[in-house]
Amino acid sequence: MSTIADLMTQDHRACDHDFARAETLAAKGDWPGATDALAAFSNALNAHFDAEEQQLFPAFEAATGMTQGPTQVMRAEHADMRATLARLQDALAARDGDEFAGEAETLLIMMQQHNMKEENILYPMCDARLGAVSATLCTELSHSLAAEHAT
Amino acid sequence: MSSANPGLAYEDTPPLSAPLRFFLTAPLFGIVAGAVLAFGDGVLTSRWTPGALALVHLIAAGFMLQVMLGALQQILPVVAGARFPAPLGVASTTHALTSLGAAGLTTGLGLGLPGAIVGGGLLLVAGIVVFLGAGLLALVGAPAVVGTTRAPRDLRLALIGLAVTGTLGLALALALGRGLALPVALPTLVDLHAAWGWLGWGGILLAATSWVVVPMFQITPGYPPRFSAMWAPAVLAGLILWSLARFADAGIASITLGIVLLTLVVSFAALTLHLQSRTRRSTPDAPFRSFRSAMVALILGLAALAANAAHDADHWSVLAGVLILHGGFGGAISAMLYKIVPFLAWLNLTQSGVKAPNMKKLLPDPPVRQQLRLHLVVLVVLVAGVFEPLVARLAGVLMAAEFAWLLLNLVRVIRAWQRARRT
Repeated sequence: MSTIADLMTQDHRACDHDFARAETLAAKGDWPGATDALAAFSNALNAHFDAEEQQLFPAFEAATGMTQGPTQVMRAEHADMRATLARLQDALAARDGDEFAGEAETLLIMMQQHNMKEENILYPMCDARLGAVSATLCTELSHSLAAEHAT
Repeated sequence: MSSANPGLAYEDTPPLSAPLRFFLTAPLFGIVAGAVLAFGDGVLTSRWTPGALALVHLIAAGFMLQVMLGALQQILPVVAGARFPAPLGVASTTHALTSLGAAGLTTGLGLGLPGAIVGGGLLLVAGIVVFLGAGLLALVGAPAVVGTTRAPRDLRLALIGLAVTGTLGLALALALGRGLALPVALPTLVDLHAAWGWLGWGGILLAATSWVVVPMFQITPGYPPRFSAMWAPAVLAGLILWSLARFADAGIASITLGIVLLTLVVSFAALTLHLQSRTRRSTPDAPFRSFRSAMVALILGLAALAANAAHDADHWSVLAGVLILHGGFGGAISAMLYKIVPFLAWLNLTQSGVKAPNMKKLLPDPPVRQQLRLHLVVLVVLVAGVFEPLVARLAGVLMAAEFAWLLLNLVRVIRAWQRARRT
């Protein structure tokens, strides 16, 4: 049976691959291709954030009673990443290769240090604390991620 | 802030000055190491010359230890959810003790001053004890969950390696400075101290970091789970058995276990190179290439170590030291510093509500690329210097320049950070 940690970690990697594709195309100066790739990455990233903020985090908060704890910090980091993503989109619109590379590097490091915390601590805690709800939630999360990735 | 999951808090990111003091002190040891090599006589002719002993400790107990302690304070909260008690107090105490200790110890080793060897060694070990004590408290309070990588477990195993290295080092300092009677021959204990230092502490820490850094930041496939699950415990078990074999003077057993250990490290370095060759990032930057060169240097260093076991000549062990410490750890650590320091500056600005310049504005690519190129040139000249003392002096001058440049590049980030805060 798949765990929340497995499912969400796999989705992190899928987002990473979309990110790398956008970065590769922008580095080649293929701006139309990079625009499509960045749109796909943006959809994937936002789908992931939405699934966490609307499904996973509320379930964790309900199960543990921690509403001002780790999930609050993760939400704040999502906001920072959304802001960096917006700057990345601005750089793409301006076809500014240097600015794009700098913002992409910043977003990647921000994203990965965030993912490290989730993959090593928060997701395993979710699996451990959510108990019986875990399997149902896993299926729901899987549907949300699949549906939003498809759009 | 919930205390149940402390590692997930922004507020628990240690203050910027906590890790930064380590990162900015580290290159100073490298500069002095270069000076020792440039001005010392025949430093690289044998691993036992006072200059070589000073040099190795300037790099290992100076440069490497500073960066590793600074980085651990950053990574333990993020990867293992471990909150250091009084992070600034622990950082300032550890930093003062380890930097003064390393300075004293290396002065003592280089100039043959028993008092400085013992005093420096005691300070160094006191700093390590403070760090390990705080780390232990942090880890005891960390959530007991098993994440998707083995990094949290292996960071703990590396700390065991640090404790053993420090203990053996202190015994050696007391033997040299105070005539402490050792249960085994001094060269045997030196071998144990060195192996626990570069492999039990440095190697396991490098691997634990790589489990997360390589797949996530370089967007490569992950390490095979079975490999990362068994690697660090196998290295630790191998080191323990090898140490016992050396203690018991069991020649065949220690050679066999030595081969097993070398094979484990080669497999780690080769697998890392293989995974990196499959990166999805199309534009590998200078730190990425430097990390790869470091893995190649590590493999060459291990080959020199194997040659040393088969054919006991002075130059093999010195060559191994040069390739593993400067080429392997020096390259990987410089690469990581170039990612960590700008990110910490960026994070600090963002958390303070200041619009932070992006990573490449805080530290542009060209000076990083040039400094890392110099690092490779220094390595090549160092290797030649093992065979020709005059070339070793040149390597020393270049090495001092390499570390001065590293420091300059890090200071460049701090200046950009200051400018951003003022605006």
